[in-house]
Amino acid sequence: MHGMFRFLHSSDLHIGKRFGNLPEDLRGRLREARHTALDRLAERARAHGAATLLLAGDTFDTETPTPAILRQALAAMASHDALRWIILPGNHDSLVADELWDEARRALPANVTLAIEATPIVLEAGVVLLPAPCTTRRPGRDLTEWMDQAATTEGDLRIGLAHGAIQSFSEDNGACDVIAPDRAERAGLDYLALGDWHGQLRVGEKTWYSGAPEPDRFKHGKPGQALIVSIGGRGATPEVQPIETGAFDWKTLALDFLGEEDAPALLQALLPPPVRRRQTLLHIVASGRLKIAPRAALAAAVKAVEPDFAHAALDEEALATVCESADLDLIDRSGALRQAADALLAESVDASLPLGEREIARDALARLFAFCEATPQS
Amino acid sequence: MKLTALRLHNVRRFAGRGVAIENIREGVNVLCAVNEFGKSTCFDSLHALFFQPHTGTPSAVQALRPYSGGNPLIEADVVTANGQFRLAKQFYGGRRASVTDLASGRLVAQADEAERFIADLVHGGAGGPAGLLWVRQGVTGVERRSRGEEEGEKRARESVLSSVQGEVEALTGGRRMADVIATCEEELSRFVTPTGRPKAGGPYALALDERDRLTEEARRLEGDVDNLHDALEERRKARARLAEIEKPEEEAARRRAAEAAQKAFEAAKAHGEALQLAEAEAKLVRTRYETARTTLENYRALLARGAQLRERHARALAARDDALDRQRRAIAEGETALNAIEAAEADERETRELFLRLERAMRARDAAARLSNLKEGLEKAEDARNEIEAAEAALRARALPEEALQALERAEMEIAALRAAETAQAPTLRIDYDAGVAGAIAIDGAPLADGEERALAGVTTLRISGVGALTITAKRSIGEDKFSALEKKRRTLLEKLGVESLAQARQSDAQAKAKKSELELARQRFLLLAPKGVEALRDEIARAENQEAEDLELKGDPIDARRAHEAAEQNLTQRRNDARAIRPAREQADQALVEAEKALSAVASEVEGVEAQLGPEADRASRDAALAQEMAQAQAPLVDAEAKLAALRLIAPDLDNAQATLARTRSAMEAASKEAARLREQLADLNGRIRTRSDDAIEEQWREAVEAREAAEANVARFKREAALLTRLRDALNTARSAARDHYFEPVMRELRPLLGLLFEEATVVFDDQSLLPQSVQRNGQVEEIERLSGGMREQLAVLTRLAFAKLLARDGRPAPVILDDALVYSDDDRIEKMFDALHRQSRDQQIIVFSCRQRAFAQLGGNILQMTDWTPQA
Repeated sequence: MHGMFRFLHSSDLHIGKRFGNLPEDLRGRLREARHTALDRLAERARAHGAATLLLAGDTFDTETPTPAILRQALAAMASHDALRWIILPGNHDSLVADELWDEARRALPANVTLAIEATPIVLEAGVVLLPAPCTTRRPGRDLTEWMDQAATTEGDLRIGLAHGAIQSFSEDNGACDVIAPDRAERAGLDYLALGDWHGQLRVGEKTWYSGAPEPDRFKHGKPGQALIVSIGGRGATPEVQPIETGAFDWKTLALDFLGEEDAPALLQALLPPPVRRRQTLLHIVASGRLKIAPRAALAAAVKAVEPDFAHAALDEEALATVCESADLDLIDRSGALRQAADALLAESVDASLPLGEREIARDALARLFAFCEATPQS
Repeated sequence: MKLTALRLHNVRRFAGRGVAIENIREGVNVLCAVNEFGKSTCFDSLHALFFQPHTGTPSAVQALRPYSGGNPLIEADVVTANGQFRLAKQFYGGRRASVTDLASGRLVAQADEAERFIADLVHGGAGGPAGLLWVRQGVTGVERRSRGEEEGEKRARESVLSSVQGEVEALTGGRRMADVIATCEEELSRFVTPTGRPKAGGPYALALDERDRLTEEARRLEGDVDNLHDALEERRKARARLAEIEKPEEEAARRRAAEAAQKAFEAAKAHGEALQLAEAEAKLVRTRYETARTTLENYRALLARGAQLRERHARALAARDDALDRQRRAIAEGETALNAIEAAEADERETRELFLRLERAMRARDAAARLSNLKEGLEKAEDARNEIEAAEAALRARALPEEALQALERAEMEIAALRAAETAQAPTLRIDYDAGVAGAIAIDGAPLADGEERALAGVTTLRISGVGALTITAKRSIGEDKFSALEKKRRTLLEKLGVESLAQARQSDAQAKAKKSELELARQRFLLLAPKGVEALRDEIARAENQEAEDLELKGDPIDARRAHEAAEQNLTQRRNDARAIRPAREQADQALVEAEKALSAVASEVEGVEAQLGPEADRASRDAALAQEMAQAQAPLVDAEAKLAALRLIAPDLDNAQATLARTRSAMEAASKEAARLREQLADLNGRIRTRSDDAIEEQWREAVEAREAAEANVARFKREAALLTRLRDALNTARSAARDHYFEPVMRELRPLLGLLFEEATVVFDDQSLLPQSVQRNGQVEEIERLSGGMREQLAVLTRLAFAKLLARDGRPAPVILDDALVYSDDDRIEKMFDALHRQSRDQQIIVFSCRQRAFAQLGGNILQMTDWTPQA
């Protein structure tokens, strides 16, 4: 090797993922973003002077992607012919997916390497990659174990590439096949590039999860990321630089209320700038307690900004409504409407009623409030 | 407001003229007139004045115009809080409306302003008095009427209630509540039907459908995905298996194994053939040896047999001779015994004949004695028989038939009776002679004795001496016929019996009976002598005479003779038994001889046969030696052959095993190539299946469907919750509004309750908050819609309701007249009186104007009686 070795570490592209739980028109965009993540990764690699991209598993979402998805992904990689792509089978696209890997082999571009066997791959002079491809969806053992015994020339960089959980926090719960967290030390690795965890995570100074370049859920609350890794030499501490790669943001807005806040204002303050909104999926989770008026205002505010976003949803499950007579005055000071409101309020806090009925009464009250807002008092 | 006067001109039947009703006062005013008098015209006119704009000609106005045309003019004087006013309206030509202050005579308002003035009176505009309360003939106030009219009245009622209870809006939420409920209903109706089911085509139903569709889709796709994964798994296995089969070293090993098996099989086959040959050879040699050995053994056995037989022959000969000897002895014994029997037999014959002859002679003597007895008996029997015959003949001569004798006796008795009767009746004759002439009279020659009384019968001739013959004829009193018939019968009977008289007959009968017992004795004697008859006796005698042939002279003791004979018999039996006792010995001897002869001849023939087989005695030893030599010669090759065979057997490989191994290795090879072919075929199929499926991206579709189903599920839950909350909201709103309504109508109910109490017990009324009129009545726990009540009750309710409203108005300081136009047509008199009570009760601070044609009924009402007077409008 000639001085510094620098590469891009990514994983979990899940190309082909469909997003059936989201609105139809958004699905296509999200799928497309997963495909174009390849271009964005290539662009970032070039920008940071990395010639090699390690994809640590789950490049494809299923074991049987359509030929179009596979070919187009390979074509996208091929189009960046100055870069070298190393693809590791993950649990979603494990070696069991022989159709996938057969087809990939058949149409393999020159600048793409399939790390489908647990044997060292020389990336360049003095740099050896030790891949641990997933043999099945759940291999039931630590596939990186072989790295401990893998012989390389003295002084060569040893870079591990693996996919799976290091604790039982796998993306596909129920992991009995846990990668030893100190595998890098045990196998004398200069870096262990891990995939599977969709949020970026530093396990040790030489062990990282890159996170998904394009998020696919609200869970992690981070934008799509990858890592630029630079290794100065055998035994040197790698320099790891997170970079953003996502086309879409999956943003969870947690709003915790104490009762009387100006909910719309709080929301507004937390919303991303308008220019990003088209590329943002917003999950607003309201919790705590809120008075009926700001609560309605919050719902209205969410409804108002909803069209700005690729997707926006308000989760009020954890939000309790606070109601006082002054709040009910907003509905009516007296008369039948007020009486209805009073009855619903009483029902919503009547501990002798089942929770479901209380909640329905609470929601009905909120809705009454909303209806009354639309027909102002004379 | 109160009305004080009403005037009209050119209205309906009042074409070209006018009428006026003046002096309308407080309290109850009654205009009672027959039909066609014009009171409805008054009512309608008053109504038109208050409710019809002067500019229009709606049907209500048209109805006011006389047939001849013309321009109806209506005028009314009213008193309000602001003073007294005259309201006037003219329709059609010269249409106008005006309000004049009666106090000043000032024209207060004209045209539209006048209309507004009137409307304020009616509708109770801001600060003004409330409207009128009308009940029209046959109109009970709950039927549909023209919208304007209805609205007007409703507003009047509303103003009343609002003034006392606050705005209905404020209570029921009014428009806002209605809007909210409408919005809520509208929202709800997007999701569910009125019965709460998901509404077809609505988002809820669509979400449910979508959920179901996606569930089905996901299920189907999951099946496809499983299918695909199965195919992939199968293909992996097939590939692995194929690779294994087609590994070169495996193939070479299979081929090697097959070749080795082939060689082993051939070697085994060759060895098997050699073994077969050796076995055949050994068998031949053994046969030869066995033959020689058997021949020798047979010859020697025959020699032994010959010796044995000779010995047995000698024994048989001796036995035969013995038997002959025994037989001869037995024959001699038999002859001796036979002779003894013959002697005994002769003796027996002799004694028997003597004994028999003695017996016969004795029997002959007995028979001769018996014959003489028989002959004697015969003679006596014949005597007895003769005696019987004689007695029988005598009896026959004397015997009289019993019944004839009796008949004769009866006839005698009847005659006697007849005669006695006649005699009793016959005249009697008695002569008491005078002295001297005794016996002078004779009858039938016999003198009639003195004092003798005699009965006269028939003709009696009295010879009276010295006088002559006096003939007296006594007429028979009993018919001569009967008498002569009886006489005749007696004669006949006597003739039949052959006697002269009854006495003779009786004598004859007694003799016959004596004879009969004689006869009986004779018969018994005969029977004793010859029980079977004389002939039988004679036959017996004949038989006895025939037997007399034996010599009667033989003498001797028969007992001695019999004893001699018995001894002879016994001797004979003894001799015969003796002979029988020696017979078995003879038979045995015969039999033994036969057996001995047979045994001898059998042994002899056998000896002859064996000797023939053995040949001449001299050659026998050499023959034996030759045979032994032959056997020894055959034994050597046998030992050799068997040793060879044993050696071959020891090293023989198992041909079956070799063959099985060969078959196995061959089939393993074939199976491998067949399996490889099958696997290739299967792989081709699987490839097709997999490609089709993965081309369809079914796994992605499946995941998509699963996610979409989850989203749809969430949607369904959302809609369900939405429907629930909207339903809850709607119910809460309706409940609140209905409670508010009840509250709202409370004042009018308060007024109405005492009035209702006058007519109906325990009745409450529910108001409709749209029309502000009664909607239903509750009596005795039954809710009845107004429309279903009787006409009478409806009109009563309508009047009472208006009275209640009027009362409310009055309390509010806005009194308004209640105008009733024959409003009680359906009510009976009893009810009408109660209604009158209600009217008067209300009329204390209330103007009530009643138009009615029921003069008699309304005479009871009292109140201010209104009169119609002619009226000419001022120019």
